Order: sequence, then structure tokens, then C-alpha cells
Amino acid sequence: MASENVESRYFKRASRWKLIILVLVLVMIVTSILSLGIGFAKIPFSNIFQIIAKRIPFLNNLVDTSLVIPSEESIILQIRVPRILAGILVGAALAAAGVIYQGIFKNPMADSYVLGVSAGASVGASLVILFGVSFTLLAISTVQIAAFICAVLTVFLVYSISKVGGRVPITTLLLSGIAVTIFLSAIVTIIQVMAGERLQIIVFWLMGGFYNIYMSDIWAIFPFIIFGIFASYFFVRDLNILALGEETAQHLGVDTAKVTKWLLIISSMVAAAAVSISGLIGFVGLMIPHMTRLIIGPDHRILLPASAITGAIFLVACDAVARVVLAPVELPVGVITALCGGPFFIYLLRKKKSKYSL
Amino acid sequence: MILLNVDGVECRYGSVKILENVNLSVKPGDFVGILGPNGSGKTTLLKSISRSLKPHRGTILLNKTNIYDLKSVEVAKQMAVVPQNTSIGFSFTALDVVLMGRNPHMSRFQMENKKDMDVARRAMSITNTWSFAERPINELSGGERQRVIIARALAQEPKILLLDEPMTHLDMINQLEIMDLLKDLSIKESIMVLVVFHDLNLAARYCTSAILLSKGKIFSAGTLEVVLTSENIREVFQVNAMVKKNFVTNSLYVIPLSTPKSPTFRNCSIHLICGAGTGTPLMKILLDEGYSVTAGVLNVLDTDYETAQFLNIPVTTEAPFSPITEKTHRANLEMMSKARTIVLTSIPFGHGNLKNLEAVKEGLKMGIPTFIIEEIPVENRDFTQGKAKSKLDELKNEGARFVKDPNELLSLLRVSEEKLKTVKEDTSKIPGHLKLEENSARKEAPKEGGSNK
Repeated sequence: MASENVESRYFKRASRWKLIILVLVLVMIVTSILSLGIGFAKIPFSNIFQIIAKRIPFLNNLVDTSLVIPSEESIILQIRVPRILAGILVGAALAAAGVIYQGIFKNPMADSYVLGVSAGASVGASLVILFGVSFTLLAISTVQIAAFICAVLTVFLVYSISKVGGRVPITTLLLSGIAVTIFLSAIVTIIQVMAGERLQIIVFWLMGGFYNIYMSDIWAIFPFIIFGIFASYFFVRDLNILALGEETAQHLGVDTAKVTKWLLIISSMVAAAAVSISGLIGFVGLMIPHMTRLIIGPDHRILLPASAITGAIFLVACDAVARVVLAPVELPVGVITALCGGPFFIYLLRKKKSKYSL
Repeated sequence: MILLNVDGVECRYGSVKILENVNLSVKPGDFVGILGPNGSGKTTLLKSISRSLKPHRGTILLNKTNIYDLKSVEVAKQMAVVPQNTSIGFSFTALDVVLMGRNPHMSRFQMENKKDMDVARRAMSITNTWSFAERPINELSGGERQRVIIARALAQEPKILLLDEPMTHLDMINQLEIMDLLKDLSIKESIMVLVVFHDLNLAARYCTSAILLSKGKIFSAGTLEVVLTSENIREVFQVNAMVKKNFVTNSLYVIPLSTPKSPTFRNCSIHLICGAGTGTPLMKILLDEGYSVTAGVLNVLDTDYETAQFLNIPVTTEAPFSPITEKTHRANLEMMSKARTIVLTSIPFGHGNLKNLEAVKEGLKMGIPTFIIEEIPVENRDFTQGKAKSKLDELKNEGARFVKDPNELLSLLRVSEEKLKTVKEDTSKIPGHLKLEENSARKEAPKEGGSNK
């Protein structure tokens, strides 16, 4: 029996995981740099490099930065860099939240919006736009604040509805998430009907994308998303064991009620933070976790970080495509995510059909 | 020493009581079977012991500490559970799943180390699952998956092992291997094993003790001899069953016979002339069909004699391995005269039991309808140099009907019964007619026969 092989293969995967993360991070950096060079204004990569280098201590002494054109510098630093950072953060957030929700619900249709985050955020943002109270508060727009708060409140509502005698049955949670989402979507429609000339702004927000992202927006969501993803890593092994069913997880020493609660809180915060600056971007939270799982397997210890980085890469790339494909008109990034991701996912599904199950 | 005490446990779903005042005490090395029909509370009991369902009243003590006061990880270090439902989300490999059993022994950010792997490999080797360690769990067959789940439970290195109908998906060899394994663990490593069983025979073979649940209460508890009795099984499972000791496995075994439906009474008694096991299947068939049955002459210790004893059928008996004496023959004729029909089975004839053929002849003379089942040609079972054959031929000439098997017999019996109905005889006056309910009263009957020796 090749038992030694089985064991050594098993122990080798820790180093394989490190390699996967390393490769993904490199791909993410390369994608981001390439993406910096893409846009309506054609800026050569040498200029981009100089602009970036100028801002980095030590490196700025080595590079001749006198050739930097101020207009190019502002395009790169004030438009493209925030945009790419937003793509990274939102992509990572949606994918990580998707992994967590799918892990908790063991339902293939669960995504980062499953507990009503999207619907809540939509109501918040639309209301602010409808009543014309959209302004900037402490450098953050009220639309973003309202979207975030309403998203969090919605999850809280869904959770409270599902609570039966101190317990929160997972299926009830899923169903009440769907019910609340349907209800809130109707409200968004009413708001749209009432919006009049502001309808376009609402529709634009709902379509999702990174149009007017400033560094201040990035700083506002950064702590929620980064802290959230790291905090969820605390529970990755519990997520694995939850695949055996709630009761069995408990028999294996997992405090399921506590773990589920914390994971829901964390992933909802992460998803709400993402939605608040990007609007609704479909596909990432649903498909990226599935794709990653198909390729690297179901172990959440690698699945969670790998999905987050893959989500980041995917969204940055899609955003770059959205900017140029119909330039000067920008497509909503959600259109691109769905257009690229859908067929790719179908391809994966067909290829590994027999092996995949959730 | 670790002790598990279930003390006055009461569980409810809503207002419905599922368990009531259940007490149980288990010590290392005990192999306890939890038995009972569907809905008797077996799984609920297991759930409350495994810290999944907090009882409304009563406590479950693990070493004198209420397990509901312990953290789940503390309980998981000592107790492993193999649940009924083993569906698993995501395509984890079998090895992944077994290694998850190490979870209670690992700190939060620890990776599995060599020791965890050793424990997992050992658990998988003894459950015959190591050969497919790297296959995804959801591609395995039900039985393979079940064994992986058992391996996972063993990887927890538990002191208490709870299993809920673990044999459901397993074939015979795996059932026995897993049970042997559990038995071994309970003896060698002093693990407490509690198993919910549907298969009473498997329980009888492996358990040191058992509790029998009925409607949420303990109906009987103790050794298997105490718990597994025909009376208890009839009372709790509503099934008439035969409980015997198997001398090969030295354990009790249960043979379910029938549901206690009230049979159709046919007001008709049949005297069976049989022996060497040829009457055994017929006895139960005839009783189930609602006939009352007598039999003779049978040697004591003959298979048919034992069956008759068990089914409370009155028998005229002869001493073991002895030829039929004149006295017994007379007793048999006496018994036969009360019957409405005589049935002769395909008995092998030797010089010792030729008298049974004479008895049939006498019966025909008395005018009792006689059926002779000839499943085996008489030439193949005649050990009397043709005497039996010639006697059988005589019987045929005198009006006995030959049938080829019990089915034909039954249909012919039904026909003759219809005829009787048209005659409208007052059947209640027919002597020797016995109802099934009077079984207990008939217990003395074989002794009457025996006294004729």
C-alpha cells in the first residue's frame, strides 16, 4: 500500500498552498499595474512607473521624476489608483463573503448578497438620492454611508426574523434572506418610480461600478474589508467541519451557533462595505468561490484566501475591460463580470462535472 | 474511570414528550444496545446524550459533570458520534474527513501533524477505508462513506462512542467487521459503545447489555436475556417472534414470525402426519391461514416436534429415535379422529414410522378427507423395501388425494371449506376445533400426547 505516498502528498499541500497564494498575489500585482495603463487617456508605462516611483520613499531618489506630466500624474493617482484599489477590495470582499456564505449554507446559490445586503444597500442609496441629501460627510458620501448602514440593518433584520427559540436554523435564515430581498427590491422599484429626474442616478448606482472613487472612499472601507477577511480566517477550519452538517460539527467540538453568528456578522460587514462603494456587482460573490473550489478543492484554509485574491484579480481585470471596450463610454463592470465569468464557469462545470458537488 | 450517567431525562419536541424518565448508567467496556421500534425515542436519546438536544428535565453526566455545562470541544475529546445521516457538502477527500476528527485535539491555527496523520491512518486501516483515502467522499458508495464516518469518529480517540444505526448501508461482511471492531475497542480500550440498533440479532450478538425503549420510556433494561424475550418483543414491536440461543455464536437470535393480526378463523382442524422437518413449514402456513392444527406421531426432538412445541400445536409424541408403539398409535388415532382433514407430508419412511401410514388408512376408514403431499417421489424416501410405497398406493385407491405441494393443498382446502359452508354444518360443535387465542391453553396438550408413551 502506498500509504507513505498518501501521507507525504497530504503534508506537501501546505507548501503547495503557499505557492498558490504567492502566484495569485503576483498575478494580482501584475494585473493592477497593467490596468493602470489602460484607459481613455493613453499613458505610457514608463511614465506610470515614474509617477508611482515618485510617491514611494527611497525609490524616488533613484528615478528621474522631473519628466512626470502633472495631468498624467493626477489621472493615475486620483482616478486610476483608487479605482484599482477599489476593484481589489470589492473583489476580495465579495468573493470572501461568497465563500463564507456558501460554507455556512452549503447551498450552491448562496452568494455575498444572500442575506439581503444588496437590497438593503440599494434602499439606503436610493433613498438618499431620492431625497437629494447626497453630499459628502467627513470626505465620505452620504450615499455610501446610507448604503452601508441599510445593508447592515437588513442583515440584522433577516437574522432576527430567523431566530426561533434562541436558535437560528440555517434554512430559515436563507429563506428569510430571500424574502426580505424581494420585499426591499419592491421598495427600490417604488423609489425609482418616484425619482423623476433622479432616476438615472439611482439606476446608475444600482448597475454598479467604480465611477467616482476617491482615496477617501477606499480608506473608509479598507478596515472593514481587510479586518473582516483576516478575522474570518480565524474560523476557516470550522467552516470545513460545518460541511459535515451542523450537528456533526458540534460533535467535533465546533461551537456551531457561535461560529455561524460570528461568520455571518463578519461576512455581512465585508459585503456591506463592498456594496457601499461599488453598488451591485453580480457574479463575483457567487461564481469566484465556485471556480476556485473547482480548481483547488474545498478546504477553506486555502479556498478563502485564494478566492479573495482571485476575486480581486477578476474584478480589476473586468473593470479595465469595462473602461476600454466601448471607450469613451464606460460599461457597468457587472456586465463584464457576467459576460466573462458565466461562460468560463460553464466550461469548468462541464469539464469537472462528475467531481463537483456542493 | 469515566462514567456516563443519564439521569431522569425527559425530552420534548414542542409539547410532545419524546422521552420520559430515562435512566441509564454506562461504564468503560460496556457495549449497550439501544433498541425499540420507530418513534420510540432511540435517536432522541442519542441526541440528548451527544449534547445535541438539551433535555427539558434530567441530566446527562459525564464524570459527574453535566455535559451541557461543558464546552463542545471538551465533550468532543471524549465522545464521538456516528450519525444516521451522513451526507456531506463539498468534495472533501475521505482522508480530509477523517482528519476533521482530530479537530477537538488541535488548536485553532494548528495544521495536522504527524501524530494526527498516524491516528487517522490507523482509524482508516481498521475500518478498511485507507485504500480510498484520497477519493472524494461524495463519490464513495453508501457503505464506504459510512465506514469513513466511523473512521472519523475513531480519529477523535473517544472514550465514548455513540452510533445511530451504523449498519444501515453496510453489507454483511462490513457489518460483521465493523461490529467486531467496535467490540474489540470496547474490550481492549475500554471504550463505552452505545449503538442504536434496528437489527435485534446484531444487537444480541455484540451487546453486553441493552435498553428497550417503547413510547419514550424504558420498557426493559439489562442483559440481553432479560431484554430480548418473545414477550417483550410482542409487547413493544407488536411482532410475534421466536427467541432462541444460537449455539454456534452463543448468542440469542430472534426470528420474527408474524404480525399479531387476527387471523381468519376457518373453523376447521387439520391433523398433520409429518416428521423429519417435512411438517414445519406447513404448520405455520396452516396456522396463519386460520386452521387449527394437531400433529402426530412425532418423535421427541424431531424438528417438527420442536416447531409444534413453539407454535403450541398439540402433538402425539413418541420417545426419541424409537419406533411408534401400539399405544402411541392409538393416541394418535384418538387425536386424529377429532380432525376434519388429514394431511400426510412427504415423510421419509422407515420401519419405525410405517404405523403413521396405517393411521392415515384408519383415518380414511373414519371418513375423514385425506390429502397426501408428494413433493418427493416415494421411491426416494422409502426405506422399507417398497412397503411404504404399496401402502401409499392403497391409500390412493381408498380415496386419499395426492397434491404436489402446500400451495395446491391450500387451494383444495379452501374449496372443500366452501362446500362445507353450503352444507351449513354447525361447525362450533366439531370437536378439536381450537382458536389461535387459545394457544396458551394448548400448552398442556403436548404433555397429554407425551403421557401416552
